Amino acid sequence: MARIGVFVCHCGLNIAGTVDVERVIEAVRDHPDVVHAADYKYLCSDPGQSLIQDAIETRELDGVVVAACSPSMHEATFGRAAAEVSLNPYRLEIANIREQVSWPHQREPEAATRKAIEVVRTLVEKVSGNEELSPLELPITRRALVVGGGIAGMTAALDIGDAGYPVLLVERSERLGGHMAEHSQLYLNLDAGDDLLRQRVEAVHNHPHVEVLTGTQVVALDGYVGNFTAQVRADYIGNTEEEDGDTRHEDVGAIVLATGFDLYDMGRLPEYGGDRYPDVVDSLQFESMLRDNAVRRPSDGRVPEEVVWVQCAGSRDPEQHQPYCSKICCMYVAKQIIAYRRAVPQGQAYVFYIDIRSQGRGYDEFVQEAMEEHDALYLRGKVSKIAPHGGRLAVWGVDTLVGNSVRVSADLVVLATAAVPSAGTEDLARRTRAATDESGFLSEAHPKLRPVESLTAGIYLAGGCQFPKDIPETVSQASGAAAKVLRLFAKDEMTQEPTVAYLVEELCSGCGTCVEICPYEARELHPYLAVATVNPALCQNCGACLVACPNKATSVHNWTPKQILAMADAVV
Amino acid sequence: MSDKKPVSNDTPAQRVLIIGAGIAGMQAALDIADAGHEVLLVERLPSIGGRMAQLSETFPTLDCAQCILTPRTVEVGHHEQIQLLTHAEIESIEGEVGDFRVRIRRRAAYVDWDLCTGCGLCQEKCPGRALSDFERGTGERAAIYTLSPQAVPNKPIIDREHCIHFLRDRCGACAKLCPVGAIDFEQQDAFVEADCDAIILATGYDIYGLDRMAEYGGGKIPDVIDALAFERLLSSSGPTAGQVRRPSDGRVPSEVVFIQCAGSRDPQKHLSYCSKVCCMVAAKQATLYRHRVHNGQAYVFYIDIRAAGKGYDEFTQRAMEDEQVVYVRGKVSRLFRDSDRVLVMGADTLTNRQVQIAADLVVVAPALRSHPETVRLAQMLSLPTDRHGWLLPLNENVHPVETSRPGVFLAGTGTGPMDIPETVAHASGAAAQVLKLFANPCRQR
Ligand SMILES: Cc1cc2nc3c(=O)[nH]c(=O)nc-3n(C[C@H](O)[C@H](O)[C@H](O)COP(=O)(O)OP(=O)(O)OC[C@H]3O[C@@H](n4cnc5c(N)ncnc54)[C@H](O)[C@@H]3O)c2cc1C
Ligand SMILES: Cc1cc2nc3c(=O)[nH]c(=O)nc-3n(C[C@H](O)[C@H](O)[C@H](O)COP(=O)(O)OP(=O)(O)OC[C@H]3O[C@@H](n4cnc5c(N)ncnc54)[C@H](O)[C@@H]3O)c2cc1C
Ligand code: SF4
Ligand code: SF4
Ligand code: SF4
Ligand code: SF4
Repeated sequence: MARIGVFVCHCGLNIAGTVDVERVIEAVRDHPDVVHAADYKYLCSDPGQSLIQDAIETRELDGVVVAACSPSMHEATFGRAAAEVSLNPYRLEIANIREQVSWPHQREPEAATRKAIEVVRTLVEKVSGNEELSPLELPITRRALVVGGGIAGMTAALDIGDAGYPVLLVERSERLGGHMAEHSQLYLNLDAGDDLLRQRVEAVHNHPHVEVLTGTQVVALDGYVGNFTAQVRADYIGNTEEEDGDTRHEDVGAIVLATGFDLYDMGRLPEYGGDRYPDVVDSLQFESMLRDNAVRRPSDGRVPEEVVWVQCAGSRDPEQHQPYCSKICCMYVAKQIIAYRRAVPQGQAYVFYIDIRSQGRGYDEFVQEAMEEHDALYLRGKVSKIAPHGGRLAVWGVDTLVGNSVRVSADLVVLATAAVPSAGTEDLARRTRAATDESGFLSEAHPKLRPVESLTAGIYLAGGCQFPKDIPETVSQASGAAAKVLRLFAKDEMTQEPTVAYLVEELCSGCGTCVEICPYEARELHPYLAVATVNPALCQNCGACLVACPNKATSVHNWTPKQILAMADAVV
Repeated sequence: MSDKKPVSNDTPAQRVLIIGAGIAGMQAALDIADAGHEVLLVERLPSIGGRMAQLSETFPTLDCAQCILTPRTVEVGHHEQIQLLTHAEIESIEGEVGDFRVRIRRRAAYVDWDLCTGCGLCQEKCPGRALSDFERGTGERAAIYTLSPQAVPNKPIIDREHCIHFLRDRCGACAKLCPVGAIDFEQQDAFVEADCDAIILATGYDIYGLDRMAEYGGGKIPDVIDALAFERLLSSSGPTAGQVRRPSDGRVPSEVVFIQCAGSRDPQKHLSYCSKVCCMVAAKQATLYRHRVHNGQAYVFYIDIRAAGKGYDEFTQRAMEDEQVVYVRGKVSRLFRDSDRVLVMGADTLTNRQVQIAADLVVVAPALRSHPETVRLAQMLSLPTDRHGWLLPLNENVHPVETSRPGVFLAGTGTGPMDIPETVAHASGAAAQVLKLFANPCRQR
């Protein structure tokens, strides 16, 4: 007979405001295995944890059910508290009665209470069948792969390399630097981007621990956190899957994806004529004019005396283009204006904008400087049409502040086109099992608290590939990704949840059904024994194999068919 | 495989001092401690979590701040490699990278924390009352208190200014009730000396107070509150359990006006910079208000809507479309109390018309400003700040977390306004620099 304790958390009013906690306690008290039941306002607080620990010791509990918030919140908290008083943490289960019960059923307290009782009862059944387990320990390859050699990738590679670990940096193009290599000066101080970049590129090339492969891409990735094998191939183009002798297999323990962004193709903005009129350029083209000290019209080489910037070109337009704001353009436009006026002091700058987004220390002041000291005319409104007119360009728009439509004649038009994921991001995501969001940028593990981790353990994100961001933010995020790698490599061994599938060999016929069905490639047929195998490091505990196995030879630790049946019985 | 030899993993453990235990300080602490080094985490307040602990739900996905924060605070509180010193201040720092000597003052709590079990009896029975700073004046607390029931550490302090024992030499209820005899009215400040190899400043931001803004009533109109106070009213663990009730009479407001850029973007009268987070905060709060008060109407006075981030512009669009929040582009010229309402007058610069709204509640988005403590620490460490007191990194672009002083790094909003994801990434960036330094003990940047 098990000795199980049940603890129900109020979570302030988050749970107790909806669920009748008293009734939950009463309903489980008479279960033959439950020897203790208690509630508390915040079980995750220090006193709450002590309450559980005290009961484990004084009532000699051998299993615990904590009814509280989602296990993703506090499973670790309660597991550690149990372990401190020598209860195996796998003999503790969390019943999620907040995210799954009290929140969705806020207006139906009766239904919520009944559901809470069911969930708790089910987990009481489960925990009585749980084995005592300990985490699996796996070795780590202490070498990192960084994909993309822009400022993000270089920064991550240097931080990891400086800490003494070997790094392989793979860059698709023939040179390092990414878009930063195309920039003129950088806001806020109009530092020469070149000098800063050159130092970094040199540091990467001269680093004893960093190996650089340019003109190279990642074509496949196997393995799991701590033990990946990447296939990298030189001159790999797009999706062509032909055999190639040049493929290298590289063992690495962690991966930083830093593949950056591209600009939205001007050809997709016919209303602005970017593909038709030579004097309509995108912001990177203008950036290189500034950089080369050659601010001239592509059509006739004249110095443009009136320049119009069109902001949000392709951004913030859910109907036709990208729904999101590209974040970086408001600031670089102000910078381009200041740089333009330094190059062409008599020049006049106009900007069409919706909102000016220049937030943070010093940013708004910088835009003010463009307006006040460089006489830039900011017009709030959308550009409706751009057309050639007597050797120049006529820009029609509405000034929403004055309420008039306006027409500005320009020698040159610069489109601040949307920043989009760099070509091939989707493909790379597929190959590395990193997810993308609805706009095609790589998804972070949690939008607030895990901004540099991908959804796959051991794969981290840096820079524009996650979402457009400027250099300061890119660099700190890249260092952040490096910190995660260093944190992983500092461990002697990696631990992995032991609640994975296992095989009863006597029952297995080697039919391979599980190999087919497993979505995580965790099942394989044994090379010469006629049985299947489980790679515990890859198993995600989804249970697909358990259901599929015709011989009932597969089971999952702490999710055995016997437990599942007992749990189902608890509900009826 | 490359032929480069992997490093050995046995560099000696070193110690970092982290000042400030908001989300930035906690993130850096966990990254460094998990990599096997020691962390001394010093926090001025009695418990950790910083401003995030005061927030209701967080943009743009609206997860509840406490819910995602407490796993982190608990992890920090229990981590073997992290030594927490709360209710503490830095007295002095001397030395240099690899050899800093710090003197820390632990302010008297008048409770022996080694004995206290955090049972909470004393708080329940204490007759002393004061407006709570944590609730930003929207609620009260006892004279002996913790910041919240989930505080880490969960040990109370006595506020001398409001304790009847200290005021009138009476009461002593807490001392009589405390089951373990932890109350110690004679307790004195204690001093701790520590050596550390590197320092991270994670002292966060402060709020530009309504009292500095006469144009918005200077804090004297009860139903004109700042956005942080509104966070408390929206929070399910706040004084109203998440119901929106206005301070003056507890009524549920049916018209709420949000005023943006209060104290920000105003170089003549206030601060010149944009506070970065408040446009998103307003969209979030207007949305949450509508979730609580279904027929309520929200208005937002703004100059520019600054919603730059993943999903941010879309979030603001949804506030406008799904929650019918009315955005008025223009400045509020005047605001005054008119019987039981607040009259807000402004100009709509898009229609060139004057607008006047009789609001039940006005929520002002105050500027984020540098914490005065940050300036003091910057002076102590001879670090540069800008004219507003924000800490300046070594190089804006390529060294955003390093400082001009080797071994001293920056994490989070001490360097300027940021939202939570940016703060967290920045803090991990600072952790990387420390880990790098610790991997090469003799190298100085
Ligand atoms: C016109 C303009 C002006 C700007 N001005 C400024 C400024 O003044 N200040 C500022 O702070 N920011 C500025 N920015 C923003 C700045 O460019 C970005 O912050 C920065 O470049 C982001 O760096 P990154 O490394 O993330 O991406 P990128 O620079 O895009 O680098 C990504 C790298 O990855 C490589 N790559 C892509 N896919 C693969 C793959 N599958 N395999 C291998 N390699 C791959 C690419 O070839 C590239 O080298 C500006 C942006 C623009 C468009
Ligand atoms: C009203 C409002 C709503 C917000 N809502 C959101 C949101 O929904 N989503 C979002 O992403 N962001 C939001 N933010 C922004 C968010 O609050 C910050 O990004 C985040 O809290 C910054 O964390 P931090 O650690 O840098 O600073 P803080 O949270 O300020 O932490 C700093 C810590 O350092 C301590 N400290 C200061 N000086 C010293 C000293 N000398 N010695 C010791 N300790 C010291 C402080 O007491 C504090 O605990 C909001 C901000 C406001 C004002
Ligand atoms: S950053 Fe500015 S120009 Fe770019 S999309 Fe956003 S609002 Fe438009
Ligand atoms: S002495 Fe009285 S007033 Fe003071 S903290 Fe104790 S109970 Fe409160
Ligand atoms: S009554 Fe005593 S043990 Fe309980 S919280 Fe107060 S000081 Fe701590
Ligand atoms: S974020 Fe928005 S409200 Fe805040 S100061 Fe900037 S523009 Fe004003």
